[in-house]
Amino acid sequence: MNPILVLLRKDFAILLKDKVSIMITFAVPFAMIYLFGLIFGVNSTDSGPTGIPFAVVNQSDNPAAAKLVEALKAEKTFRVITDFTTDGKAMRPLAEEDIAPLMKADRFRFALVIPRDLVRTEAIGLHLKTYSNPRNEIESQIVNGILQRTLFTNVPELLGQSLQERARHTIGSARLDQFNSAIASAIARQFGGNEEAIRARISNGNFGFGAAGAAAPGSGVSSQGASDVLSNIVKIDNVQVVGKDVKSPTATLLVGGWAIQFLLFAVTASATALFREKEHGIFQRVLSAPVSRSDILWSKFLYGICLGLIQLMALFAAGQVLYKIDVASHLPLLAVVCVFASAACTSFGMLIAAISPTPESARGLSTFVIMLMSAIGGAWFPVSFMPEFIQKLSRLTLVFWSMEGFSQVLWAHASFTELLPTLGYLTLITSLVMAVAVWRFRKGRIFD
Amino acid sequence: MNPTSPILSARGVVKRFGTLTALDGVSLEIAAGEFFGLLGPNGAGKSTFMSLIAGLRQPDEGSLTIASGGFPSGSTAARQALGLVPQHIALYMELSAERNLRIFGELYGLRGAALKERVGHALETVQLADRRHDVVKTFSGGMQRRLNLAAALLHQPKVLLCDEPTVGVDPQSRNAIFDFLQELNRRGLTIIYSTHYMEEATRLCSRIGIIDHGRILGLGTLDELLARLPFEEEVRFPSTPQTQALSAELTSNGDVATVDGVHRFRPRAGYPMSSFYKLTEEHGLPPRLFTSQRPTLEALFLELTGRTIRE
Repeated sequence: MNPILVLLRKDFAILLKDKVSIMITFAVPFAMIYLFGLIFGVNSTDSGPTGIPFAVVNQSDNPAAAKLVEALKAEKTFRVITDFTTDGKAMRPLAEEDIAPLMKADRFRFALVIPRDLVRTEAIGLHLKTYSNPRNEIESQIVNGILQRTLFTNVPELLGQSLQERARHTIGSARLDQFNSAIASAIARQFGGNEEAIRARISNGNFGFGAAGAAAPGSGVSSQGASDVLSNIVKIDNVQVVGKDVKSPTATLLVGGWAIQFLLFAVTASATALFREKEHGIFQRVLSAPVSRSDILWSKFLYGICLGLIQLMALFAAGQVLYKIDVASHLPLLAVVCVFASAACTSFGMLIAAISPTPESARGLSTFVIMLMSAIGGAWFPVSFMPEFIQKLSRLTLVFWSMEGFSQVLWAHASFTELLPTLGYLTLITSLVMAVAVWRFRKGRIFD
Repeated sequence: MNPTSPILSARGVVKRFGTLTALDGVSLEIAAGEFFGLLGPNGAGKSTFMSLIAGLRQPDEGSLTIASGGFPSGSTAARQALGLVPQHIALYMELSAERNLRIFGELYGLRGAALKERVGHALETVQLADRRHDVVKTFSGGMQRRLNLAAALLHQPKVLLCDEPTVGVDPQSRNAIFDFLQELNRRGLTIIYSTHYMEEATRLCSRIGIIDHGRILGLGTLDELLARLPFEEEVRFPSTPQTQALSAELTSNGDVATVDGVHRFRPRAGYPMSSFYKLTEEHGLPPRLFTSQRPTLEALFLELTGRTIRE
């Protein structure tokens, strides 16, 4: 046989024996392609983010306001929250004063208040109020865009009502009714229809924008055109509840995501050094001294935490220098989060070392899991961009909770007490993962 | 020789790995100051026994005590009494020689001036004092082996466990290690040395335990062990068509075994060797084909197990 073919067959034979290479060659990119496909809605007629918690307080008695709330509820992007469970477990309608504290507690990051003066008399246009925690810029833009689209495609009569109210305020009710009747009569004469019904529709603010809006769903283009025109006459008062003082919001979030991803790589590499120490017979020597296996594992765990703390703090310091992230003002709490995040990352690295039979398989498995966990944990994209089942999965990842902790400190300027739940989740993850790792180390042969 | 003050005592030690019985009722005693050799082929159970002594594993049955205090293997006192020289170069290659020794010394509780003094002395002893700040991976194989030994001596153990410490070592370095170990033994250090090289056991050990399939097959000094052989001389000659007839004829005068293409004739007691050489002349075989050897450990192992130690 041709030597080239012999050598070619040899390479394939070696590849087939190397499960790690096969995994990195096929499984990792496949998982990434699948995940990206889900995020970008490939092969989906229903793409885009879903289930973003969105609080709505309706203070208006205008029927169109209720219609707007219903339209928002029908929008898959949002999970509309209108009720609030008190500490006494009683359910009551959400009030405007509830929004800021709940937003600070990260129960939701966007809220809409439909005020009593939704349709203003002193000016043309609508009045709405939004509250936001624009932790993620892309997510904020999407939420605003979908809110506008929902507004103008589903309740265009609000704008008509606004014009009617403005006219009533300026020329009085009697003259406005006279004007509406004249317009209705002219329309009925020219285009047919019931004059009284047309007059009632005009009085209710329905000038036929609804036709343009009604054609919009699915087409996108005319809706967008209408939105562009109409958005100029909607007055939205935005209250940024969280992150007002953050100088570099994008960098503040970006650095945390990438830092935690590379910390995972670093501590996993450190944990897999256990294999090298085993191969060199160092464990034999160390364990023949008055040293226990637990001593070795705890030393590795503490080393991982120290390494993680140093790496994370160095990256955040670089973020301060490069992007003006305000690290210095939050140093103590940031260090606390870094310690807990590092502990979680280290436990993950030790689990990888404990369940892998060889260093090669540990490297392959860690690459796969770290990339997957970073993607679904929100290090690459906002979690809200992903399907809801992945959003639920993301809350099981240490990446999600580590980033949550960084955001709470650097973005929301949370206090230690406010950080406790996040630290608790990280501790829970660390404890569970370490317990499995230690159990596997005891069952495994790495110390033999 | 029966040890009078055992520094290691094993009684009915059994160790299993799943269905495999690695040690099957090992019982022996080693006296203080002995240079004890544990000789056996690969897979015989030597390393398992060494790991039990070092406390890396626990026996499934039986007892294993260390030092005159009778400390159970694996206890802190037993570990303090032992120094282990693993088969591999168990050192941190990225660190300096001195840093390595400081780490291993600290694991045994050495601190401050005592640690500094012991590290310095150990480096002097293995002639690496001038390379103390050099990174270990820059050392030659022989230097790494010497440092590997020094790391086991820092805490001044009563017993030095050497688990096949010369595997892959060049002859010159091997001789240097032998000289060093013999010097340590002369100073009173008890050494337990596992090997599958009979020449090492013959050269170094004052007493030898032959182990195979997890059992001690023979135990004693070299002379005591060789005395168990039922012959005083062994004649070897190649197994060829020309020697087949001689081989067949010799079976009535002793044992003939064929190993690796070599006939080994062990005459029965009282058989005159002159008769043997007369017979070779009758078969027209030249004297250069025949070599005569005194009994060896290899012959004993063959006698005890029916196979060579390398099989």
